[in-house]
Amino acid sequence: MFGVGDRVRARVMNPAGHTRLPAYLRGRPGRIEHVLGTLPFPDQRAAGVVSAAQTAYTVRFAAHDVWGADGEPRDSICADLFESYLEACE
Amino acid sequence: MSHGHVHETSAGTSNRVKSLIAALEAANVLTEAQLDGAVESFLTHAQPANGARLVARAWTDAAFRRRLLADGNAAAAELGIDLAHWAPVKLRVVANEPGRHNVIVCTLCSCYPLALLGPSPSWYKSDAYRSRAVRDPRGILAEFGTHLGDDVEITVWDSTAEVRYLVLPQRPAGTQAASEQQLQALVTRNGMIGTALV
Amino acid sequence: MSRIHDMGGLHGFGPLAVESDEPPFHHEWEARVFAINRFLLKRGAYTLDEFRDAIERMPPAEYLQASYYERWLHAIESLVAEKGVLDVRRG
Repeated sequence: MFGVGDRVRARVMNPAGHTRLPAYLRGRPGRIEHVLGTLPFPDQRAAGVVSAAQTAYTVRFAAHDVWGADGEPRDSICADLFESYLEACE
Repeated sequence: MSHGHVHETSAGTSNRVKSLIAALEAANVLTEAQLDGAVESFLTHAQPANGARLVARAWTDAAFRRRLLADGNAAAAELGIDLAHWAPVKLRVVANEPGRHNVIVCTLCSCYPLALLGPSPSWYKSDAYRSRAVRDPRGILAEFGTHLGDDVEITVWDSTAEVRYLVLPQRPAGTQAASEQQLQALVTRNGMIGTALV
Repeated sequence: MSRIHDMGGLHGFGPLAVESDEPPFHHEWEARVFAINRFLLKRGAYTLDEFRDAIERMPPAEYLQASYYERWLHAIESLVAEKGVLDVRRG
């Protein structure tokens, strides 16, 4: 479980099936912006598996942490990511 | 609507749909009349006017604005808008403020607050928007004629789970005397997506 | 790295094609496809995640060629076959 303000990193992964972790965020560090509560886990539900719900979070990523020097210094991206996509950072 | 071939379609596609409906009817899964009813109901109920009502109320009622930002579904229900009618989604309203601007996208598919904004425009669902909004929001905004200063922080909300985002635009200057209804008329769909200012 | 739908950050798709006074659907069949999907989801024939997965399974070249509702049609046709939706004995 993470709390608002916690530093996290999106895990590096490359599943063959459905996932809601976009490739452009994998491996990037961010910060928990909001705890969304528990939701059915789409990666399993897409495969027809009745899944346990997972906690989902809105995570904020600085544009420069995602795009390097090609990102605007002041901009950021928020995405809604499931617990198993994230690991603690630092 | 990927690139140049925007809305061309072949008779083949239309026939495929006819065959599919015929097969579903034959298997007693649905009827053509039910489909027509569903389309009509969708177009009647899912309208940008719903989003505009939320925005105008938030502009005129500070307590409602706080409730809207804290729990979008509950605030929408106060105005008689049932977000769960189409799909069980959570509404998160994000507010533009001086120095802070928000833009909505769904890079993985086309998630969109249908109940509040109506059917989404083709550009929102296009590969061009989905690929670019997260890396070049300022370039996207410029294509809509919206230019923000370098001092403005942009947050792009990528709707990757069951949350649907709506931008609460800033109330335009010089509208102090306007009624809630007059304010509703000022609110645009693109303003609530974040590709335009209101 | 991912399937073709996962396009956040990709370059090369060009400027947006913005249509003024765009109708909700450009063809009657598009509205029908939209409604069929709503209906089958509501009926529990498949989940939204399975629907999305069926779109994402399209061969990349086909995905990029297809219009938005052509992608939907492809996914519905795939799932109707895979899930045995037309099998009347199913009940």
